[in-house]
Amino acid sequence: MLNKRKKGWPIGSAWKYKRIMSKITVAKLQLMEPKKITELAGMNLHHISSMLEKTPYKPEIAEIRSKELSSSSLEDALLQNFIKTCEELMISSPKGIRLLLSTFLMKFEANCVKGLLRAKQAELDVEEAMKYIMPVGRLDEARCRKTLEISENTADIVESFSDLEYGSVLKKAFAVYETEKIFYLLEVALDRHVYSKIWRATGKLGGLDKKIAMTVIGLEIDSVNVKTILRCRAMGIREDQIRRYLIPVSEVLGEKELEEVMREADMQSFINSLVRLAKRAMARDYQYIFTEIQQSHVTSLTRLETILDRGLVETSLRMIKRYTPYFNIGLILAFLNLKWFEVRNLRAVIRGSEAGIPADRVKKLLILPR
Amino acid sequence: MSVELANIHPTRLELLRLRRRKSMAEGIVDILKKDLDALTLNLFELVKKIPPLRNKMYATLKEAYGLFIEAEMISGSKRIEETSLVAQPIDFKISEEKKKGVIGILFPTFQFSEGTRILGPRFNLIDTPANLDESASKIKVALYDIVKLAEIEASVRMLLEVMATKKRQINRIQFKILPQLDAAIRYVELILEETERQDAIRVRVLQRERKERGALKHAE
Repeated sequence: MLNKRKKGWPIGSAWKYKRIMSKITVAKLQLMEPKKITELAGMNLHHISSMLEKTPYKPEIAEIRSKELSSSSLEDALLQNFIKTCEELMISSPKGIRLLLSTFLMKFEANCVKGLLRAKQAELDVEEAMKYIMPVGRLDEARCRKTLEISENTADIVESFSDLEYGSVLKKAFAVYETEKIFYLLEVALDRHVYSKIWRATGKLGGLDKKIAMTVIGLEIDSVNVKTILRCRAMGIREDQIRRYLIPVSEVLGEKELEEVMREADMQSFINSLVRLAKRAMARDYQYIFTEIQQSHVTSLTRLETILDRGLVETSLRMIKRYTPYFNIGLILAFLNLKWFEVRNLRAVIRGSEAGIPADRVKKLLILPR
Repeated sequence: MSVELANIHPTRLELLRLRRRKSMAEGIVDILKKDLDALTLNLFELVKKIPPLRNKMYATLKEAYGLFIEAEMISGSKRIEETSLVAQPIDFKISEEKKKGVIGILFPTFQFSEGTRILGPRFNLIDTPANLDESASKIKVALYDIVKLAEIEASVRMLLEVMATKKRQINRIQFKILPQLDAAIRYVELILEETERQDAIRVRVLQRERKERGALKHAE
């Protein structure tokens, strides 16, 4: 490995990582153990909340009044903690990685924009709409409220974002929306924009950081594409329609490759095709995931989504093992993915407990690396 | 009854007419009872279909709700709720037709069909899990069963209404018309018997008077 680094993979200046690495190492140690998360399944909300108060989620959990304790208030607390963690990491990160993390945070900003659009489309009043919206980044609570108050319809909401990049994206999508009257096209446009921007930010990194980020983020985007294609196929949606929902940016599953797999007759041949394409692109990490799907003869889309999500976490962790764990983006991405799936797992446990779902069933939905 | 009897002409012709009406009413009761039997059989057949269909519907709905909760667990309850606010509604049509059934009753049949088919997905696929699609398709299956159940229940309701009408008709004939006819027949018979008796006495009196007049004439 040392030889390889000397030849073509410069680790760059280690100095620029001095602040972020210590922060990440501490934050990674504070992540909850998978065993602790699975133990929470089946417990009541009060118990889960008191357990979470002993974790880094304490400041957000402590703000919830006991009367307001519900799955949605806990869910908000977990998400706020995740966003806060991302923002803290972004401040301490070197320039290139900071740009990537800022685009990564745009996912949440885009969710906030989607929330505003949905609320206006559903004609909710400001107070009710604010229950669904999580202000983040440039879209703080005051701006969200003002946008909702001054806008009479979705067109006004689109117009209100003209000072941000979302404005131009939404304006283009709004023209299509006006002819086709399909609301989610606005949401898809935002998602496509954010993912494309994250991909572009990945491309701006250099050396090993670029290689690691392209693998991890490429895999994330391709997972989204694979899931979308399979779900569309299950619904009997035509190929030309499916193309509208894809984000064909990755090098392994680009536009041409996605077109190729889309034509497969059934799910099994689709997966076989993915394995073939991963081999052709010599993408080892893709091969591991697609081969696992192929060998487990998956027929349920939910199961396939679980394997893809777990594959993403495992790939992030593999990057740390494959390269040095410090002084590159690998640890940052691994931590972010671990943290995100920890939030998702906790959310599943909390909602499952509230709905009285048996612990065994909840555990099946958890994304835990092996 | 007395008022009704007062309107009856106590003649032999009326007696014959009343007897004819009574046998006809008895015939009608027989027919109505046979109809009621056929309706009861049909009712049992229909009622038998309800529990398995209802169980199937409950199982499908339970599965759908389970998948929906799973979708909430994966994406968050707020996200799913938000998505549902703007999800494209499915255009369903339920047309009602009539089908001839037992003893010519027109039973309702509900035809369930999807209106204009949506070309794409109903909501954004990027930020929702596959469980939500599966849940939606299960709900669609459950809707078919719900409509089928509604059709059977409407038929059962109609059958019960017809059965109640038939029963009312049987009861009316058995406990009102037939006793009235019996009373009228008895009344006419009594009157006729009374008339006969009076006529016989009158004949005897006339004969006696005639004999007495004949004896007086002989004596003079």
